[in-house]
Amino acid sequence: MMNVSVTETVSPEKWRERVLQAHDHGFVFFDFLTAIDRDSGVEVVVRLAFNDLSESISLSTSINHASLRLDSIADIFPGAGWHEREVGEMFGMNFVGNDMQQLLRHEALGLPPMRKNVVLSARVVAEWPGAAEPEIKQDGRKVGNPSRRRQRPPGVPENWLQS
Amino acid sequence: MIHSFIALLPDKCTSCMLCVRECPAWCIHLDSHTEEVTEPGARRPKKINVLDSFDIDYSLCMYCGICVDVCPFDALEWDQHRALISDSRVDLTLGITQLTSEKDSAN
Ligand code: SF4
Ligand code: SF4
Repeated sequence: MMNVSVTETVSPEKWRERVLQAHDHGFVFFDFLTAIDRDSGVEVVVRLAFNDLSESISLSTSINHASLRLDSIADIFPGAGWHEREVGEMFGMNFVGNDMQQLLRHEALGLPPMRKNVVLSARVVAEWPGAAEPEIKQDGRKVGNPSRRRQRPPGVPENWLQS
Repeated sequence: MIHSFIALLPDKCTSCMLCVRECPAWCIHLDSHTEEVTEPGARRPKKINVLDSFDIDYSLCMYCGICVDVCPFDALEWDQHRALISDSRVDLTLGITQLTSEKDSAN
């Protein structure tokens, strides 16, 4: 059972050093490494725990979109190598020291799909079911005013198809 | 309860479209029309939405439960139907009559 859980933000420069420090402190169980795309940059998060899972720590760091470079921790936790490569191809991150070959996606697929500024082609091709306004139909005919408010899928920026 | 299925209670659904619009997988499709009903004693007929179709495409659904959470009328609920197995994607889209809860079908 997980008892104590700590969250800590570190600077990108201190990332590797802080992970190593945590490892040496006893956080030797690598749980996962992932990322979140925020306005301010790509936030990379790693969660580590004691071997008996009695304590855990989450470390996070924010890398601005212009750089997207961070030291790899795969030499400390070999299991993190796979996660870093995933974050690499999904968020466009470059983990210095790790082999950043594409893992599952083909290079020709282009921009990293988990970045919010990337328009997913599947979303362009598919029709959003929420665009329907079924409540304005009557006996198969349209009644009332359909354009009370233009609906947009949640999380999709305005004019996303034009950008 | 195992969260392995989302059941629709069609009588509670008002066709408000909230679940359709919030579903991140875009896998709920709904169609409805308006009918006028005159209730006894009411001065004017009122308009109600009548559900024509409600489909969840389980080949896309990721069981996030957002639809269950956002429904203001509790018309969607978790159910313990087992995961669907099919070799055809078409069969994974379930409509009103198939989205019934195990509780209901047991009765
Ligand atoms: S569980 Fe999530 S993905 Fe599945 S229908 Fe509901 S909102 Fe959509
Ligand atoms: S949110 Fe609930 S009431 Fe609204 S359309 Fe969906 S199931 Fe029906």
